[in-house]
Amino acid sequence: MEVKVLYFGMIAEATDRKEELISLESGSNVGQLENLLKDKYENLQHLSFKVAIDKEISSSNTLLTSNNEIALLPPFSGG
Amino acid sequence: MNKRKTVFIEGPITPSFIANSIEKHQTKTTIGAHDIFLGQVRADKIDGKIVQAIDYSAYTEMAENKFHEIREATFSKYDLTCMHIYHSLGKVKAGEICLFVFVSAPHRKVAFEALEFLVEEIKKEVPVFGKEVFEDETHVWKVNKV
Repeated sequence: MEVKVLYFGMIAEATDRKEELISLESGSNVGQLENLLKDKYENLQHLSFKVAIDKEISSSNTLLTSNNEIALLPPFSGG
Repeated sequence: MNKRKTVFIEGPITPSFIANSIEKHQTKTTIGAHDIFLGQVRADKIDGKIVQAIDYSAYTEMAENKFHEIREATFSKYDLTCMHIYHSLGKVKAGEICLFVFVSAPHRKVAFEALEFLVEEIKKEVPVFGKEVFEDETHVWKVNKV
């Protein structure tokens, strides 16, 4: 399956892109996606971020389905 | 009160925008107390370099959802007459305003309390990211203190 992954702030700098499609085995969870991305982008290993699925913060054991919109969000700094 | 409102403004929030917003409330005569929070960009000194501006970006759709949830939560918790939230996107120079939160109520206490709740929720829950830009165009990413 494929999921769309969005990157923001310092995370987008570490990946050098704002979004991409990532192929995963069906039944993968958020933690597995995180590991795959940390292998792909070594810089991510040193950064702190939360993962949102379809605009809601999720935990690492949440299962993904294709067509999910995933976002890697660095610490917030509004205001 | 349930309709979605525009929160994001491109660039700084100007003093005249804030003044206009206050003026618009003069017809709402059940209001007895306004309280306003203005977030201003600080010229912090970081490793010997001075912050010249903050360049704001956001996960806009999620941020708008969060602003909406925070509005609803605040209205159900406090007896407010009205509430306005504006946040900048893009570049805001040191000394300029990047966040404008405006609450109005019949009496002062609820306005004070609701405003603090709102600002803290915004800082904690809304996916906005500030890039602190120095004079030499290098930058660091801002992180909100809890």
